[in-house]
Amino acid sequence: MFGINNSSDSRRSDRIHRYKASAFNQNQNGEDLTPDYMNVLGMVFSMCGLMMRLKWCAWAALYCSCISFASSKINDDTKQILSSFMLSISAVVMSYLQNPTPMVLPWSSV
Amino acid sequence: MSSSPVDRSHWLTIFALTLLFVSYNIANAGINHLDIEDNEFAEFEDFDVEDVVAGVASEQKNVVHEREDPPSQEPDREIETADEDEATVEIEDNEFEHVDEDEYEGYEKDSATKPDLKLNEGPKITFAQLPAHLRSNWESYYLELMILAGLVLYFFNFFLGRSKNQRIAETWYSAFKGPLLEKFALVGDDGKLENSQPGLMKESENVYLLWCSGRTGCEAVLFELRLLKRQDLVAMVMNLFRPQQDQVHVKVFMNDSDMDSFVMCLAAKKTATRLIREMADISVYCPEKKSAVDKFGLPTNFVLMSEIGEASTTLLDARVCSLINNIPEVIESIHFSDQYSGPKQTEDTAPSKMPEVKKMLIFNFNLPLKNGKSIVEAVEIIRPAIMLTFYCIDRVKRFRLSKEFKAKAEKNRQKVEEAFLKSTHAARAEAAAARREEKRRQEKEKILQDDDPEKQRKWEEKENKRLAKKRMPKMKAIKV
Repeated sequence: MFGINNSSDSRRSDRIHRYKASAFNQNQNGEDLTPDYMNVLGMVFSMCGLMMRLKWCAWAALYCSCISFASSKINDDTKQILSSFMLSISAVVMSYLQNPTPMVLPWSSV
Repeated sequence: MSSSPVDRSHWLTIFALTLLFVSYNIANAGINHLDIEDNEFAEFEDFDVEDVVAGVASEQKNVVHEREDPPSQEPDREIETADEDEATVEIEDNEFEHVDEDEYEGYEKDSATKPDLKLNEGPKITFAQLPAHLRSNWESYYLELMILAGLVLYFFNFFLGRSKNQRIAETWYSAFKGPLLEKFALVGDDGKLENSQPGLMKESENVYLLWCSGRTGCEAVLFELRLLKRQDLVAMVMNLFRPQQDQVHVKVFMNDSDMDSFVMCLAAKKTATRLIREMADISVYCPEKKSAVDKFGLPTNFVLMSEIGEASTTLLDARVCSLINNIPEVIESIHFSDQYSGPKQTEDTAPSKMPEVKKMLIFNFNLPLKNGKSIVEAVEIIRPAIMLTFYCIDRVKRFRLSKEFKAKAEKNRQKVEEAFLKSTHAARAEAAAARREEKRRQEKEKILQDDDPEKQRKWEEKENKRLAKKRMPKMKAIKV
């Protein structure tokens, strides 16, 4: 206890405020929205890949879920990331099961 | 070995380019195969040819049908029989059962007279080999291989970047743990009931938080290490085009009694423009940018936004100014505000009451890790800036506005509140009217649902009376 009330010591153990996430704690520039955008984009690409059998869409979805995973917060919902991964991987697998020929990019002339 | 992020990204870029080159070569090498194998009709044309040969040997009629039909039938059949060889054969056998042979008499004659033509017309059908088995032509999957290599690269970079960010955060914490323990009763809090892991809180792979509390003058101080997204390769590539820096944000939550009312902000030019645009308090109280060069002798790229001149001249004293002059590249912005409410609300979510405000000091520092500086060096460069925050806390705590300026500040706040109330008056009145209307509608529904006609009649009478009453005073007013 020595020194707590010393004039040169600015510590005050009786004035401790515990940490709680509030609006003032948040980043000034707003939250980092990359994971959300990537999640949505990944979903759209997966759907395109599955429905329209576009292989490059399925691959793009996989990349989107990777980026979403890399920039997600620690205490974010892992289920969301997992489901986005599953969806994109299934898009890739399904498109190659249906048509195992190599991928053709949409802009290359065939 | 400590390489700067730029170096590493270069290496990764070079690696990616090499990969591209190699795959291009592979693709070129395999191009001869591709010419043949890309022809998706190859499989089926082959069968046609076999049939033609068989037909010549045995039954000419059949051959004629075969030659008559294929151009139109072929595409359909291909779709139906993508992979199944046996099925193809079956279909071909049954396919012409329905055809009336008489229809082809003319053809038969023609073909009978010129039997050689059949073979000469052959070139119309492209002779092609069956596609080689998947395993033998991996080269044609070069795009897929590239994508997979990209994924591997991405995850490789993920682990590398994550560990680098972790290292930076740990170095920073170990450098400031001692000084912080001298100034705060609590250093590092995770917000859980029992503070199980005091120390840095990891918010994401590139954001680390440190909560310190228990000190005079302020409720708490939050240190945020906002590092580059080293774990994300895409973000790092973007960073090459639009360079950003690792930053340390220090947010001081002042006690309400320990800060007078004023808003001021000293920032680098670019940041200042952004802050004026985004922050509610600056845009309202001090949107004017003034040069900080002549008055304070600060570097030319700093601008000052201040509501009360007295506050800025007192708080930016010689000591603070000389420190800023020493490390101008570290200081991004210094923002003191008793009206801090975060970023501006967007138009569509216009609030109906004043936003909650807090007395805060916010410091943004750059962690100068570029130019080949090691982490330890960068942390040492930033040390005086971190110490500056404690000096500022004490200064702000002691500082009081003179009477004249205090009155001015109060007037400013009142004006802002009045303007706010005025701007939301219409919206609030509308909301109240809508609420009343909704309530009445619900009541009416309830009455109508009731089967008692007597009750309904009574309610209607009451409602009419109410409406009449509502109109009455107006009438009176007109008469008078």
